[in-house]
Amino acid sequence: MHIPDGFLDPKTWGTLTAASAGTTGYALYKVREKMDEKLIPMLGITAAFIFAAQMLNFPVAGGTSGHFLGAMLACVLLGPWAGFLVMVVVLLVQCLFFTDGGLTALGANVFNMGVIGGLLSYYLFYYAKALLSRATSERSALLASTAVFSWFSVVLASIACSVELAVSGTVPLRTVLPAMVGVHALIGIGEAIITTVVVAVVLQARPDLVCSYSAPPIAQALTAEEVAS
Amino acid sequence: MKHDFIDRYARLESPVHALDPRAKTIALFAIVICCVTTPPGAWWPFAVYAALVLVIANASRLPLKYMATRVLIVLPFILVVALFVPFMHEGGPTYDLGLFSVSRDGLIVLWNVTVKALISVSCLILLSSTTPFADLMHGFERMKVPRFFTTVASFMYRYVFLIVDEAERMKRARDSRNYRGRWIWHAHVIGHMIASLFLRSQERAERVYQAMSARGFDGTFPRVSEPKMRAADYFFMLAVTLAALSGRLVVLWT
Repeated sequence: MHIPDGFLDPKTWGTLTAASAGTTGYALYKVREKMDEKLIPMLGITAAFIFAAQMLNFPVAGGTSGHFLGAMLACVLLGPWAGFLVMVVVLLVQCLFFTDGGLTALGANVFNMGVIGGLLSYYLFYYAKALLSRATSERSALLASTAVFSWFSVVLASIACSVELAVSGTVPLRTVLPAMVGVHALIGIGEAIITTVVVAVVLQARPDLVCSYSAPPIAQALTAEEVAS
Repeated sequence: MKHDFIDRYARLESPVHALDPRAKTIALFAIVICCVTTPPGAWWPFAVYAALVLVIANASRLPLKYMATRVLIVLPFILVVALFVPFMHEGGPTYDLGLFSVSRDGLIVLWNVTVKALISVSCLILLSSTTPFADLMHGFERMKVPRFFTTVASFMYRYVFLIVDEAERMKRARDSRNYRGRWIWHAHVIGHMIASLFLRSQERAERVYQAMSARGFDGTFPRVSEPKMRAADYFFMLAVTLAALSGRLVVLWT
């Protein structure tokens, strides 16, 4: 889903770069509000973790495999803004050093995988979790909404990607949308299984590391003392 | 341990390696931006960009095989997304090939995305393979990229080797226990692996943070020497940028 250079036209990548830059600026402001230099090593190592996790392919069907995206996982574990910034760093390094995603398409890739796949899906998750918590325990509400919205995060990102390619006049929407969404609906199941298992295990071992657990999303995400303790 | 997989060859000696990171960044980004904004259907501009890339690649003494394998990374995306465009594109003249017809506009789209993707990827490879990671990040910092990103990315660079190694070890342990994931419901095993990878990386982060603050870390990576832009750096930056721009402007005038 990393779009290379040349697939988007200037108006599309220009707009998306502006949107992503704006969101990134706001995220930096949000994170700095509650955080000093203390979390920098932690975010750096988490970025390295996301990077390594993306290298573990998971089976999809009959021997084919997909790879983990991790945007939703980062947001659930670190809180939305810190999770988003980790994704920005991962995408930046992938673009510059691994030629995975283009330079002019960086804004579009951040938009798809960070804003849509991360922030938007996180807030959908957050409200779903709040609703479900009324009916069941917070733990099962958290896991159920993680499963559902991890799937949505991948599928929504693939829809955004197809629309961008179509708006740029590269491929007609009618052909690219079913192909992209079809593949990613399957990959999304893998993403949902993995994210839910990871959150469940971390919840068991170190509940203090799951920022979206029993606290408002931003406040707890960014108090360094709690993460360090 | 694959210790140098990010910026392998960044410490070779060549005229390109010796340039200031800022000069290289601006020059190569200029080629990418000129290339991507060139209207489809143009020919000469792409010859100019390709020539620039070839000259720089030649001067950089990077092994050809390494360049080629890195450039080919973009092919899967081109194959999946763009290869069928000439056959699906509607309107405009078509070439009849018996069983199916090929649209001329569709072929232009395919040529356009392929050439742009290949040239841009070569530029990014030239930048990241001729500049050590720390120098590039420092160059970015001097060009006013927020320090948050350069420091977080530097930490990522320092620890990615360890964590990737850890993931590789887990993969080996898993495979030696006969894991053969074929279907999507086998994916939960990967979930457990990623969970322990996360826990280990967080615990490492806590230790690293404590050790660093005990040694007086204040959020910056101090450097022994500040790089200076020399005449050669300015010359390279201006020459490449102007050449790319002139390639771009050819289209406007004709």
